[in-house]
Amino acid sequence: MDNTITSPKNGLKIKRFTSPDHPKVNFAQAEKGIKAWLTTIDHKKIGLMYLGSIAFFFFIGGLLALTLRLELWTPAKTFLDADAYNQVFTLHGAIMIFLVLVPSVPAALGNFFLPIMVGAKDVAFPRLNLLSFYIYLAGAFFSLYSIVTGAVDTGWTFYTPYSAQSSTSVVSMTFGVFVLGFSSILTGLNFIVTIHKLRVPGLTWGKLPLFLWAIYATSVIQILATPVLAITLLLLIMERTLQIGIFDPTLGGDPVLYQHFFWFYSHPAVYIMILPGFGVISEIIGIFSKRRVFGYWFIALSSIAIALMGFLVWGHHMFVSGQSTLSSIVFSMITFLVGIPTGIKIFNWVATMYKGSISLRTPMWYALMFLFLFTIGGFTGIMLGTLSVDVHLHDTYYVVAHFHYVMMGGMLVAFLGGIHLWWPKMTGRMYNEKLANLAAFLIFVGFNMTFFTQFILGSKGMPRRYYNYIDQFQSLHQFSTVGSWVLGVGFSIILYYLLHSLGKKGVIAPKNPWGARSLEWITQTPPVMENFEYTPVVIHGPYDFHKPIAEFEYGIEGSDSHGHEHHKDQHVNIHSVNV
Amino acid sequence: MAHSSNSTLAHHFVDSEQQFDASKMGMWIFLVTEILFFGGLFATYIIYRAWYPDLYIMASSQLDTSMGAINTGILILSSLTMALSIWAAQHNDRKKTTIFLAVTIICAISFMIIKYFEYTHKFHLGIFPGANYTFTGIDHVKAPQFFSIYFMMTGLHGIHVIIGIGLISWLIFKNQKQAFNSSYYTPIEIIGLYWHVVDIIWIFLFPLLYLID
Amino acid sequence: MNGHHQLSLKVLLGTALALGVLTILTVSVAKIHIPSPFNIVVAIAIAVVKAYLVVMYFMNLKNDKKFNLLSFGFSILFLLILVGLTMLDTMFRVEVIPGF
Repeated sequence: MDNTITSPKNGLKIKRFTSPDHPKVNFAQAEKGIKAWLTTIDHKKIGLMYLGSIAFFFFIGGLLALTLRLELWTPAKTFLDADAYNQVFTLHGAIMIFLVLVPSVPAALGNFFLPIMVGAKDVAFPRLNLLSFYIYLAGAFFSLYSIVTGAVDTGWTFYTPYSAQSSTSVVSMTFGVFVLGFSSILTGLNFIVTIHKLRVPGLTWGKLPLFLWAIYATSVIQILATPVLAITLLLLIMERTLQIGIFDPTLGGDPVLYQHFFWFYSHPAVYIMILPGFGVISEIIGIFSKRRVFGYWFIALSSIAIALMGFLVWGHHMFVSGQSTLSSIVFSMITFLVGIPTGIKIFNWVATMYKGSISLRTPMWYALMFLFLFTIGGFTGIMLGTLSVDVHLHDTYYVVAHFHYVMMGGMLVAFLGGIHLWWPKMTGRMYNEKLANLAAFLIFVGFNMTFFTQFILGSKGMPRRYYNYIDQFQSLHQFSTVGSWVLGVGFSIILYYLLHSLGKKGVIAPKNPWGARSLEWITQTPPVMENFEYTPVVIHGPYDFHKPIAEFEYGIEGSDSHGHEHHKDQHVNIHSVNV
Repeated sequence: MAHSSNSTLAHHFVDSEQQFDASKMGMWIFLVTEILFFGGLFATYIIYRAWYPDLYIMASSQLDTSMGAINTGILILSSLTMALSIWAAQHNDRKKTTIFLAVTIICAISFMIIKYFEYTHKFHLGIFPGANYTFTGIDHVKAPQFFSIYFMMTGLHGIHVIIGIGLISWLIFKNQKQAFNSSYYTPIEIIGLYWHVVDIIWIFLFPLLYLID
Repeated sequence: MNGHHQLSLKVLLGTALALGVLTILTVSVAKIHIPSPFNIVVAIAIAVVKAYLVVMYFMNLKNDKKFNLLSFGFSILFLLILVGLTMLDTMFRVEVIPGF
């Protein structure tokens, strides 16, 4: 194969660019010092700053979880009093959802990899990206400041009337969440424009890695849903400060209306949280089965379907709230339908593995864990969506188990899989795989110990958010608590070997340790500041493992200033050319 | 179009047209969030009005239709002058750009002055949002709710007008420093889009709050 | 700048005039007693026409990329979903506000 080709369709002069695994000056070396990082507009550094922050908040949220599980060791008070217990679970939920899960994959991995995957030098609005990060920190500050001023004991859902009347620092925390919403919106905005406008020549929508379809769908939800949360929290703050009487029944308002507005965001929010995870799983399963992901368009479009249909089911959180029977029936019906696109994905991922060349590396272990744990979570969601069943199970540990299976067993596991997939590319280092696999195993065991038990507790009638419980539940609670310790050990091991890989004794990683094909694996490790030293041109799809790597290294010198709008939506086909 | 070496082109865009289109797309997406943000308040209005239609008819009598109509006219005029400032920028007429932007600000300030008079008149009668409501002129137990919604909707809108005044002032400042010309006027274009949405929200607020009879 | 749609003075002034007329119309119609719910329908219809004019001509969506029109359309659609599905509850309850 020649090193230079001219595509007749659009006159691009394409040639092959080979580069050594490691650049002379990677992005972290290009600008040095703390100030450089804090004022950077480089999406890769911003992504890593998010990753560090998210890991930190996850650690805090995790400590809170261990605390509340420890309190539940005995049926009555163990070491916390009831008010403190309420504050602990509220803070645990709010931190995990708003500071960890909502940003997680998009802000950390999406920021780092989206521009590289589309071949661009950065996101569409780099300075807005940095602003997003600082808004995130500001929101985190206000939320956590509430701990100092009296904490919050309403649950992360801030239901009225209690949230309008509680003497705790509801305003500080809800204002913090309000601010965090803007970070989410601006990130989503940036990603949508980047995917539309900054794709390189040849990168048609049908050649996008499925991770990007997932990020795109997530961004759409962020744009449409988050503003409604913003106005809801603003109204709640007004309710507390001015007593406007919209949501508080003692002032003539309707508390169920609060729930409608809150869940209009918060249900799509769970899809904001899980869709990027789905995207990561698509990448991992494709790469580690060495096969094209089965049903590419089904997976791509099912992400969009989930994003849109996810807006029509929020009332399934309110079946016993007092809403009309009619709306309960409608919401239940649509809830059943929204499970279908997700089910399609699960089948497609399994089909991808069939007759594939499976490579059981750490990311793949996480993907397999995901398939098992998320499926349980998803099924139990449908069970909760059944009206009559929900009357029994609502507000019990069954719900707690369900959402931990989808959010932690699903989303967090996928996040860990993504970190382990892309760690070599981001840092240029490889982690100790034996320890990584051990940690994954401990997390799997600890997770099931902690949360499968809670399905049983819930169906036996243990209510959620309860500080004390009847004696008969004690052994199950204790088993669950021991599980949480196993989880804690697993996460500690991950922290250890990841940090160790960055140190002097860390192993240097090659630029494409997994033999993948999407653009981030073609560029150097860690990437240079501008991601590529040329403008890539995309000829094949991201899962064309059977095509030689050489055919993915084509590009044009400099930047494509000639009719970019047309090139990126046209296929570039080297076999139609005489070389 | 050849790769531009001008300083207004950011390094990650291939040309000015891509940058301009991207900026506009970004602003439209942001405006989607504004529509849904205000939309929550419109939803509250609709739901409460459907529950208490008589209240809304009674309460609307407390709102001065002429002031509302004048404010509607003022905002429409400001939208015109905002669009004209872009027209002027496209024709490379720096002076007219500033003049039209300045008139837009004057309209916005006039709007806020009228709002000030409306609000103070209400306060004088004891019509406050929420707990401080003491007005006895409307014989309906849910009267405070109507005015809570009124103050929230017009108040949030007013805040957006003030933000608009700030943004447009910045445009005048930059324009006077010769930052804009017919090749580059993107900030005027996108702040213009924001301003028009502020106008549109008022176009709906006016009949829904003032013209219920 | 090539590729940019130049605004037309005539169109802008014409749009402003139309908006002014529609405002006068909306105030006049409010003075006539139209039975509910049609009075709301008429008021909203006029507002929609005004908004259409602002969006299409002042904001230049008529000559803009289709994606921006799609975005705008989606925002309205999802607002309607918020209101519509919520009212499926609020309009079909036995009591207006449970327990109060």
